Amino acid sequence: MAKIGVFVCHCGENIASNVDTANLVRKVSEHPGVEVCAEYKYFCSDPGQETVKRAIRENGLTGVVVAACSPRMHETTFRKACAEAGLNPYMLEMANIREHCSWVHSDKEKATEKAIEITRSLVEKVKRNNNLKPISVPVTRRALVIGGGIAGIQAALDIAGAGREVILVEREPSIGGHMSQLSETFPTLDCSQCILTPRMVEAIQHPNIKVLTYSEVEEVDGYIGNFKAKIRKKSRYVDIDKCTGCGDCIQKCPVKKVPSEFECGLGNRTAIYTPFAQAVPNVPVIDTTRCTYFKNGKCKICQKTCQIENCIDFGMQDTFEEYEVGAIVVATGFQIQDTTLYGEYGYGRYKDVITGLSFERLASASGPTSGVIKRPSDGKEPETIVFIQCAGSRDPSKGVRYCSKICCMYTAKHAMLYAHKNHDGRSRIFYMDIRAAGKGYDEFTRRAIEEDGAEYLRGRVSKLYEENGKLIVRGVDSLLGKPVEIAADMVVLATAIVPQPDAREFAKRIGIGYDEYGFYNEAHMKLRPVETATAGIYLCGACQSPKDIPDSVAQASAAAAKVLGLFSREQLEREPVVASVSDATCAGCFGCVMACPYNAIDVRDINDRNGNLIKQVADVNPGLCQGCGTCVTFCRSNSIDLAGFTENQIFAEIMAL
Amino acid sequence: MGIQEQYRSEAAELLSSGEVKLVIGFGAGSTADRRRPLFARTPEESEKLVLDQNCIANLTTYLVAGGLLTDGKKVAVFLKPDGIRSLNILIAESQVKAEQVVIFGFAIENNEVTPLEGRSISDFAKLGEKLRTATPPPSVQEEAERLEAMGSSGRFEYWKEQFSKCIKCYACRQACPMCYCRRCIVDVNQPQWVSTSSHTLGNFEWNLVRAFHLAGRCAACGACDRACPVNIPLRLINYRMGKEVKEAFDYFAGESSDQNPVLASFRQDDPETFIL
Repeated sequence: MAKIGVFVCHCGENIASNVDTANLVRKVSEHPGVEVCAEYKYFCSDPGQETVKRAIRENGLTGVVVAACSPRMHETTFRKACAEAGLNPYMLEMANIREHCSWVHSDKEKATEKAIEITRSLVEKVKRNNNLKPISVPVTRRALVIGGGIAGIQAALDIAGAGREVILVEREPSIGGHMSQLSETFPTLDCSQCILTPRMVEAIQHPNIKVLTYSEVEEVDGYIGNFKAKIRKKSRYVDIDKCTGCGDCIQKCPVKKVPSEFECGLGNRTAIYTPFAQAVPNVPVIDTTRCTYFKNGKCKICQKTCQIENCIDFGMQDTFEEYEVGAIVVATGFQIQDTTLYGEYGYGRYKDVITGLSFERLASASGPTSGVIKRPSDGKEPETIVFIQCAGSRDPSKGVRYCSKICCMYTAKHAMLYAHKNHDGRSRIFYMDIRAAGKGYDEFTRRAIEEDGAEYLRGRVSKLYEENGKLIVRGVDSLLGKPVEIAADMVVLATAIVPQPDAREFAKRIGIGYDEYGFYNEAHMKLRPVETATAGIYLCGACQSPKDIPDSVAQASAAAAKVLGLFSREQLEREPVVASVSDATCAGCFGCVMACPYNAIDVRDINDRNGNLIKQVADVNPGLCQGCGTCVTFCRSNSIDLAGFTENQIFAEIMAL
Repeated sequence: MGIQEQYRSEAAELLSSGEVKLVIGFGAGSTADRRRPLFARTPEESEKLVLDQNCIANLTTYLVAGGLLTDGKKVAVFLKPDGIRSLNILIAESQVKAEQVVIFGFAIENNEVTPLEGRSISDFAKLGEKLRTATPPPSVQEEAERLEAMGSSGRFEYWKEQFSKCIKCYACRQACPMCYCRRCIVDVNQPQWVSTSSHTLGNFEWNLVRAFHLAGRCAACGACDRACPVNIPLRLINYRMGKEVKEAFDYFAGESSDQNPVLASFRQDDPETFIL
């Protein structure tokens, strides 16, 4: 005979103000099978939990319903309390009368009625609960880090430093990401390459890190502790193990005028190339779309130049490697928005209207101009530069709604760098607000204004055109309420940070969520900022939201800490909420095998005693099953049931309403 | 030699050589213009096979009879294009192995029976494409359009009236080749999701469950419709579900045998109009 204890929580005023809890207790007490029914201000508190435990012991309860908040909040708390009182933790159900009731209704009488229904329905469910045991699964203590920018490198180094293996995958020929393109970094103005390259070298030399560049994650299967990742190693056409990085092939390559992606098109590269001088690994790749041999079938000068036998191999094919990993860190980064959508700024039409990232290359000592800021059109040093902030950000009509976060700071930095390199130059900055929250950030922007003469104009630019070799920038100074017109030599657009072009598609491939823009979703914005909703997959860097270097690095270390926490155990306890198939009724259509997002269902033969096949049925692997229930809803013959959410339980819940 | 004689002699050959263990075809029925299924296991029995314009049943239903194909031996079956569509679906759903079925294909047009080339399902790849673009029978299409013009409340009234006739005999289920479950959900009584008595609610539950279970799986052979003793126009429901699936997923059930079942499979570019 069922003896159910029901505990109605007030959640302070959260529930009690909108649900008549006394009435709820009275009604539920009368429900068949309810042995005890009590109310309390906070059942999640210590004395609250004690009440539950005492009631279990004193009344020999067979099941517990806590009518309170969402199970996402306190299911674990009360399961633990049940276990401590000697009851199987899976004999607990949470009746959500807060998120599903008191918070969303204003009519107290009706809300109370609904709370009674919800609670009764869970009482009926818990009567049919079964004792369940958690499933133990082994943890593969190796991590996959996707993306070799500063965030990915940091996460890989932290995990590797703690003694765990890391596979670091980067799709470009070199690790380093966007940070390797930057000149100096705010707020300290140290050279980006100088602080980044030691980390890149450390990563590739680390005995625990396997760096796979020019590689992409094709497929991820499995679940926390036990993922399988299939990685495509794109063919470089250069043997990474044989190449010494001498660079002779690059010197001799006859195709020299390929706009360099790394230099934002401001410089050129060859068809066989490394993206930049400090590339890690320092092994070139052949761009088959530009290579004369791949286009015309003749050339191979690089191969003839190469001193090492069979190092350059034009017949090289993509190869695939599979790795078993226990955790995944996604650090796939960002791209900058295409600014041609702003016709009024003339990007793409006027050569001297450039993006902030291009300016980084101009200001960079290793850049196409060796650090001298020159106009792309005629190579002259500009006397006046206009910077336009929020060229895409905070613009719901044309650009993106959000703030790209780093532009205020890098624009101030650009003005400073320009002042340091060209003492007579004038920087005029159109801005909407100056957002400089961060350690040393406001001081940095003040320094740009006070010491380096950056002239800030609050307002927007409406038009930009070329006249007598000058770029005429027309805008408004909204503080003076007057239109302004500036004749500039160069215009720098602080373009918005947007997700990678394939961010959505990639998220679907590995099974994580993304927001309306394509940035990856964290499990909880405040309390679980580096975890995704998929257990075992973590986030860091600008793939989650626009971020500067300090934030990306901090988040990378946080993600690494989460991974190491997971790796601190050899076994992982998993919820026993798994599906099982009835052999007798399974019709063997195997739609569930296809529908299962975790590849947890296989085909099993049923043979007679002589080994003759009688039939084939679906078979769920409980180690892989995540209890999502997709197969249950798909099965036409109703042959699959989910422990903890059985047909009988769900039916009883519905019929109690 | 007419097609009937040709298929008879071929069937006899297949049986006498042991190539197939069974030929499922048509035999004489209870009246001059009705045919009933004939199961020929010997060359002599195959002499009774009949093939004419009255052979309209979809014989794939008999392929999924429990245990028929587990011994791995071959079976020959007489199929019209809609039967070939059904066979494609059954192969895709692992109920039948393609290599186990020899097809005697035929088509009926203007009361004329013509043979279809090919004996194995792979010979009928082009047929799927043809059926995909074919227009449904005018009688079905006109009636479906009439219903669609009624609006949702009108349609609800229409189906309420139609379903009120249902006596839950499950003849539709028995006739349908896609209803191959050993135990139908309607027979589950722990818990009893579908009410078994023949009142309006139970009748609605049964017919809607069946409609959903056929979404993206119906070959439009009309067997359910013909089997219904109280003349519920079941093919109109299946027609509409087929249309929905085609519009949403560009999917035509039974077009080929290597199709992934539409509701079990997932594509990156599937429409997500239901997500707000």
